[in-house]
Amino acid sequence: MADTLLLGLFDDVAPAADAIHDLRELGVPENRITVMSNIPYTPKMLGLTPPRQWFLPFIALGALGGAGIAFFITYITPYLYEIHVGGQPLTPFAPSAIMYFEFTALGSMVMAFLSFLLQNRFPVLRKQIYDERITDGYIGVQTQVGDSLLDAAVNVFEANHARILNRESAKAYKSPGMMHLAFWGAVGVLALGAVLTPLLLTYRIVKIPWLDGMNKSPAIGYQEGPRRAEPEGSVPINGPVLIAGQPASERIEASEESVTRGQMLFDINCAMCHGLGAGGDGPLKKYLPEIPALTDTRIQDMSEDEIFLVITLGRNRMPAIGENLTPGETWDVVNYVHSLGATSE
Amino acid sequence: MLESRAEVRPYWDKPIPEDEADAHELKHFRQEDLLMDANSPAETNDIALNAMKSTGLGFWMAVGFTGLLVALLLGTWGLQIVSGLGVTGLNRSVMWGPYIANLVFFIGIGHAGTFISAALRMMHMDFRRPISRAAETVTLFGLSAAALFPLIHVGRVWKIYYMFPIPDERRLWPNFRSPLLWDATAITAYMLGSTLFMYAALLPDLAMARDHTTGWRHQLYKALALGWRGSLGEWMRLEKLANILGYVIVPVMFSVHTIVSYDFAMAVQPGWHSTIFGPFFIAGALFSGVAAVIMVLIVLRKTMRLGYFLREQHFNSLGIFLMLLSIVWGYFYFNEWIVTWYGNLSAEQAILKMLTGQLAPLFYLMLVVNVVIPLGTLWSRRVRTSLPAMFVICVGVQIGMYLERILIVPGFLSRSELPFNWVNYTPHLPEILITIGTFGLLSFLYIIWTRVVPIIPVWEVHEGQAFQSTRRVGRGLFTSHTDMH
Repeated sequence: MADTLLLGLFDDVAPAADAIHDLRELGVPENRITVMSNIPYTPKMLGLTPPRQWFLPFIALGALGGAGIAFFITYITPYLYEIHVGGQPLTPFAPSAIMYFEFTALGSMVMAFLSFLLQNRFPVLRKQIYDERITDGYIGVQTQVGDSLLDAAVNVFEANHARILNRESAKAYKSPGMMHLAFWGAVGVLALGAVLTPLLLTYRIVKIPWLDGMNKSPAIGYQEGPRRAEPEGSVPINGPVLIAGQPASERIEASEESVTRGQMLFDINCAMCHGLGAGGDGPLKKYLPEIPALTDTRIQDMSEDEIFLVITLGRNRMPAIGENLTPGETWDVVNYVHSLGATSE
Repeated sequence: MLESRAEVRPYWDKPIPEDEADAHELKHFRQEDLLMDANSPAETNDIALNAMKSTGLGFWMAVGFTGLLVALLLGTWGLQIVSGLGVTGLNRSVMWGPYIANLVFFIGIGHAGTFISAALRMMHMDFRRPISRAAETVTLFGLSAAALFPLIHVGRVWKIYYMFPIPDERRLWPNFRSPLLWDATAITAYMLGSTLFMYAALLPDLAMARDHTTGWRHQLYKALALGWRGSLGEWMRLEKLANILGYVIVPVMFSVHTIVSYDFAMAVQPGWHSTIFGPFFIAGALFSGVAAVIMVLIVLRKTMRLGYFLREQHFNSLGIFLMLLSIVWGYFYFNEWIVTWYGNLSAEQAILKMLTGQLAPLFYLMLVVNVVIPLGTLWSRRVRTSLPAMFVICVGVQIGMYLERILIVPGFLSRSELPFNWVNYTPHLPEILITIGTFGLLSFLYIIWTRVVPIIPVWEVHEGQAFQSTRRVGRGLFTSHTDMH
């Protein structure tokens, strides 16, 4: 004896709830009644008991899984592959807390969503009883009854003014059964593979000969041959030098403005080592005791071109300032440095 | 046999009251309040679906124009890859320029979506109903656009796999003690969470679209709707899921921009090393994000004929929200400012001096469009409900918030502890073009998206309309909301 599926569409929630009440009175069990609507009506409105929900175990599992990933990243990995930076411990608390928070949140969100799909048997891979007018605001009440109750059930729908009543044989609607199981099984296997494969490679459980580039690329030392012959008459030098009789670059005259500009630039770029008055007593003196006072005769006796070169290229432990100053600005500084000798004499 | 029961008319078909004053009042409610103006769901569905299907000349022109901007973005990026990062204005000591400012800006824009959708949902704010999906979409594409910038900024993007330990032949492990890894983790969590949250709430509307379309659209929606029928169990689980995701995603949202601020605050750089940077960045992100959502809604309403859904009341509520965020942002900025100023540390003084000196036009423009204009205008309902005025104010807020990021990133970096390292940064053409192109990318994706999914969460509107009614108090008639607990 085949059951019959009845789907009645109602205008409003009130007649739908009345119809459900009447069907229950007839003896139709609650799990044989499905209500479909375009907005979320509550069980209280429909006179039904709220369906069971299974979010908590999934969320707990997701949170635990997320925390596990965080544990792997913040505890296991640093001990497998030690990186010591910035004087920090290998597994400090505060950054770990951030990782735990993010991965726990992510795990619980993903698992909550997965649980939503599973509880609803989504995606639905079979034909299911439905009417497209439900999204236009009709409330569908669907029930499955045997032949003995059929007439009485149809009467319930009619008495409550169901707009449309569809009848179909329950035979056409099979249970999801194996197909659903196969779908989620395939998804599970794929997901597991997608997670595990990189991990096997990452933690070097499976080693593949991967091009690692840096330490295998050919490296030829500068002393290795073959070397090209030097041009005739060339002299090996270590960096630029002055050519006798020629200035380092086009000079700027030591006018009063140039010296003023030079002093400002000196205070910005030089004073932290050489001191504000160029007395060799800048704040960095305690780290670099060899910093000279620029008022020394040793410095003042140097040619202006040479001072220019020292500022531009650096010397000994003095860094090159060429990047920070244009040649014109460098000449201003040179002029300022020389003006110091003139005042101290 | 059962006796026939009295017929009940559906909620959208309530009779007009006989009393003339009441009828007049009800008409007024229908004009003002979307939730009182219930049409039959079939009609409302049609408005949303027709808007989605309409692809007129304007649509194609917008697609073409923004498509050109996307081409500009990709072309400029290609040229930059070929010639190297030297074509940008980046140099020692300003190693972070507009690319990083853009990253912060676009992540910031992505904050309003979840806030409007998840937080306002938790607080049962009815004005979120028609706008939540438009806001979530801003999140989705804002984050996608932001995700481009680490790639653009690294320069040799084809070496990006060096950052991942898969496979571990290079022995290079991401260091979880670095804020950059926290950032990547937080943004990934936020993006996945936002997508799930959006998709869950999309299911009923995908089912609605499935039931009312034919052809490729029908097939697409049928697959995406997963077989949603709107049964009682499905609805209850959806509500539960939305609550769960909402409660998780709001803290994640706060963590995301806090961690973005850590990218700066963890460096001992004057102006950056500040404990207030986390909440300050969150306030700024919400501020620019809500302004972005308002701009998007204005454009949607104008171009997609969504005047039925997006009404003055929504712009009014969002305007109040924007004004509050302007106050919060101004408060944080003042706080940051006065503590720095009072501390009188020489490096920070140099930054303050630069802001009020060399960069004064940008700095004062930022304060005017972020605080003076919003606070000076948004108190008025007339301004809040005027779309052109709101659009202008929101464009101003975007400019102001963009300037804020520019001042913080390349601005503060150009003044470090040693004057020796001071430079003056100016953006070069590739940086400007890529920035413009990214706005184009965001708009391009958004325009396409509005034609593929229902941009109005129709079921949320129907839900609100079904449980909204009127109630008489004394001699007056008022709207009354049914809370379903």
